[in-house]
Amino acid sequence: MLLGGTISTPPASLRLKSTLNPQNAVTQSSQAAFPAAMQRKPPSYSISDEDLKSRGFLLRRTPEGLNLDQLNSVFVAVGFPRRDTAKIEVALEHTDALLWVEYEKTRRPVAFARATGDGVFNAIIWDVVVDPSFQSCGLGKAVMERLIEDLQAKGICNIALYSEPRVLGFYRPLGFVSDPDGIKGMVFIRKQRNKK
Amino acid sequence: MLLIPISSSSSSSSSSSSSVLPQSFFNSTTSYSSNHHSLFLSNLSYPVPHGSRKLKTLRLRANFWESIRSGFVKNNNSTQLVEPPSIVDDEEEPLLPVEFTLVERTLQDGLIEEIIFSSGGEIDVYDLQGLCDKVGWPRRPLVKLAAALKNSYMVATLHSVMKSSSGSSEGDNGEKQQEKKLIGMARATSDHAFNATIWDVLVDPEYQGQGLGKALVEKLVRALLQRDIGNISLFADSQVVDFYQNLGFEADPEGIKGMFWYPK
Repeated sequence: MLLGGTISTPPASLRLKSTLNPQNAVTQSSQAAFPAAMQRKPPSYSISDEDLKSRGFLLRRTPEGLNLDQLNSVFVAVGFPRRDTAKIEVALEHTDALLWVEYEKTRRPVAFARATGDGVFNAIIWDVVVDPSFQSCGLGKAVMERLIEDLQAKGICNIALYSEPRVLGFYRPLGFVSDPDGIKGMVFIRKQRNKK
Repeated sequence: MLLIPISSSSSSSSSSSSSVLPQSFFNSTTSYSSNHHSLFLSNLSYPVPHGSRKLKTLRLRANFWESIRSGFVKNNNSTQLVEPPSIVDDEEEPLLPVEFTLVERTLQDGLIEEIIFSSGGEIDVYDLQGLCDKVGWPRRPLVKLAAALKNSYMVATLHSVMKSSSGSSEGDNGEKQQEKKLIGMARATSDHAFNATIWDVLVDPEYQGQGLGKALVEKLVRALLQRDIGNISLFADSQVVDFYQNLGFEADPEGIKGMFWYPK
């Protein structure tokens, strides 16, 4: 069933008729024969796992042990809406990758990020939060670097997110580019009643 | 109500109990058709409205309908438009059936062409690859393509069905006399609760310019909204930003930017 041919970068955007830059096709071809995991060199993070552990931060990659009410509190603390925990649970069940940091002392989540997608081509990162009391000491970066690495290890090449204007400066040093090639992030706006 | 996707998802309203479903609902099935060596995926990863698999028709908004009508008149074919009931505001809309006829027209030689929309996700991966070739997209491995479809929350398709107006559609020896061709697709990934993102919207170049792409996206969005997904997003090439704006999408809402990790 596997047909030969190059693995080319999937379109990062939606088009009705156009072609991608030909150079996209070349870069991935060498990976055609090997599983992604075999080729990856060990990741080097800004802050190592050991470093985090020594400061009392535990890295978690599954929702086990994650108290959703406490997570909700972190959401609210950074200005996100509080959400139905049953819905959060459903969302976490349908997640491609997630990462959270547990503060050993309190056993509470202090940082979190998750990614959804199709598991092969595209992933979008949502809900990147760090408890305000723990911000500015590298936790957000730690979570993002690892989440990206985990997604890449699965072979997902197209990683995207939607960033509030005030945190563009957080994502840029991590390697994110806004509107590459003029690609725009768009959101469906529900029309209000009695308005066009 | 303005939805603010601040690198997060906002819940539109308190969820009803129907949003949490048993895991069995989310199983997808795969079946192989021996005749055509093709891989069919039935991707029912979302609740299917009761009794909706019958072919039904829906009326679209008047101005949207005009745009389709004008597209067909251009082709000088005798077009019979299927008139569905009108759609009113969001909450009062009838539940979208999984599959329905978008357009029906009579061509020369007495052939009738039906364009059928389906959100049931039944799609032949080989057909899809052929369609991607037609619009000029780079090749992706079939296995990955199949996996991407399987992992998508919703796959919407447009198929063209040709049948002769004279005879019935049943063949003599059980062979299909209907020629069914994939002419469009759009898919959405989702966390099944808050967010959905639309990817890979494509329409066969031979069928473009007729409002089918609009119908495809519009129906997909409607189906997602009806499953209580509050935040629907996508990434649009610069040349199609207007296309999506006309469908109700807003670029950079509240200054929120789409960002990509080391795009090539």
